[in-house]
Amino acid sequence: MADTRAETDRPRNLGTGQVVLLPAEPVAEPAEELASSARFTDPGLSELPIERLLGELLNRIQEALAVDTVAILLLDADSQQLVARAAKGIEEEVERGVRIPLGHGFAGRIAAERVPIFIADVDHADVLNPILREKGIVSLLGVPLVVEGELIGVLHVGSLRAREFGQNELAVLQMAAARAAPAIEHARLFAALQHEHDVSMALQRSLLPKRLADMVGVKVATRYLPAREEVGGDWYDVFELPRGRVGIVIGDVVGHGISAAALMGRLRTALHAYAIEGHGPGRTLELVDRFVQSLAESAMATAAYAVFDTYTSALQYATAGHLPPVVISDGEARVLDVTPAPPLGAFPYGRCPEHELSLDSGEILLLYTDGLVERRGVPLSTGIEALATAVGGATTPEAACASAIAELVPVVGLRDDVAIVSLQSAFVPNELHLTLPAEPKTLSHVRRVLRRWLNERGANEGDIAEMTIAVSEACANAIEHAYAPSPATFELHGWANNGEVTMTVRDDGHWRPPRGQNRGRGLSIIVAAMDDVQIDRTADGTEVVMRRHITGK
Amino acid sequence: MSLADVQITLVPNALIAHVTGEVDMSNAEDVGATVIKATPNEAQGVVLDLSGVEYLDSAGIYVIYGMRASLQARGQALVLVIPRSSPVHDSLRLAGAERPGEVAEAVEEALAIFDNAPPPGS
Repeated sequence: MADTRAETDRPRNLGTGQVVLLPAEPVAEPAEELASSARFTDPGLSELPIERLLGELLNRIQEALAVDTVAILLLDADSQQLVARAAKGIEEEVERGVRIPLGHGFAGRIAAERVPIFIADVDHADVLNPILREKGIVSLLGVPLVVEGELIGVLHVGSLRAREFGQNELAVLQMAAARAAPAIEHARLFAALQHEHDVSMALQRSLLPKRLADMVGVKVATRYLPAREEVGGDWYDVFELPRGRVGIVIGDVVGHGISAAALMGRLRTALHAYAIEGHGPGRTLELVDRFVQSLAESAMATAAYAVFDTYTSALQYATAGHLPPVVISDGEARVLDVTPAPPLGAFPYGRCPEHELSLDSGEILLLYTDGLVERRGVPLSTGIEALATAVGGATTPEAACASAIAELVPVVGLRDDVAIVSLQSAFVPNELHLTLPAEPKTLSHVRRVLRRWLNERGANEGDIAEMTIAVSEACANAIEHAYAPSPATFELHGWANNGEVTMTVRDDGHWRPPRGQNRGRGLSIIVAAMDDVQIDRTADGTEVVMRRHITGK
Repeated sequence: MSLADVQITLVPNALIAHVTGEVDMSNAEDVGATVIKATPNEAQGVVLDLSGVEYLDSAGIYVIYGMRASLQARGQALVLVIPRSSPVHDSLRLAGAERPGEVAEAVEEALAIFDNAPPPGS
């Protein structure tokens, strides 16, 4: 208690004529008793959430000193104002959000000068807060709340009748302040951390893709596990690109909390935007690097980005300070070679070399963040090898993610975020059988499926281009036929035999003769592009059967 | 991902519309209407740059004919830019509509067809 005793200065008076000089003698025993009976030392206090802690303290102080009002104002460091945080008897203080500038008025001077202040008569004193007068408070006594030399707020009590607070009352209030301040600070820090954690978690969640669209030619699975203590800046994304390509990216922003989550959102958007412009993965990462360099705040991130061509199964990839991707094929996983490149934002004009391989039908690409493989005291390469072993048997992206998490993530005590994104080059069936919604936007989907399927059947580019046009035209006809009350779907069937591809488009609608000279061009295209075309129009619908020999690559 | 994009540039005597992506029955009419609406009356015509088009179907061809007709009604010309390697040629050839109007290899060539006086002060 020596510290408290040392700060037990005489209360300063404000205004004129109300000075009450208190004897500078040591605190009398009754004060100790009073304070201890009020149980300001109760260790259970510091376990309470801040709102309940403050409420409990106010009750105990009011009881110990038999005062009419008690209030706690806490310092808002940003505005340098005291903000009424809890009050008893003068609840309006909190409800009206009273703010007192540091250095002004009763509480403001207690805080600025870090001295107790006693006001015998509010009417004749420099009191800023009108609520104190409105409530009819006559006498006030306040002390600063200090933790490890830092001012955190002010605690004051008031009486509705003129009252002279003596040395004992001051000692009790100071003791209450000395014991309460660390508990308040602890609870406040904890609440702030909890709040930051909640906010960054919400931000992180809102910035990651909620749901990945079904994409032709690939199967995708993702996982995101936030660390329990601090939210990091791990992120991933999967998106469609022009000409049948799919972009897949994973990244990790250096840092934690709200700012890391916010930066992550900006990087994800920037990368997607550059990718849509048609840049390859290496150049895209370089552009994101330039973007990070241009930010006002210093920022750094790692990323791995790959572009998968669903028509040709080519996979291009590049990394920037990120861990190497893993590819699973035929029951075995291998770690890809990557030329090391600096993290995004690390050095001016960083270069990201691009690599290419073929991700054949059924093979799986796995991108991950270091939280998955980094363990204290274990070399990173060991963690990566453990990952490869864990996912080797996976035959779907979902299974790859599940195995990685089951084998590598500790049940408790995850220290860093973990993000995984996995993409499989989807199996291409020998025989194509699709039931499709009869909507114009289906056509681009059909063309993507068809190009991949025909490529897999060994058709060359000329075959693929012309047959795709023909089949798309036949599907467009089916979509035009499909008007109510027909079910709004049509079927596409394709198979290949001895170098001949047969495609059938079947709908339940009624054949409509082509409207106008140019509308007939669809049929002309089909006939011109295919070796043989048969159109069967019945009351039940229309079936177009198209055949063409493929010349091979 | 949007299927196609249209970027409009105005030069002294003409409007250049750069179309990129895929044009089919789902978006052909919108692409055509976007260009026609953006064409000022003073322009001698429109350069429809199809060099960035990866796919064009019969609905797209139909719209090109429609654009040609509406421009003609306003006394304006339509010139198409289709490079030799463009997949648009496949569609036009298969549809038997290889020259749906004036065709150029590049935008500069197309602009030369119009009386392209340099802008004042340049």
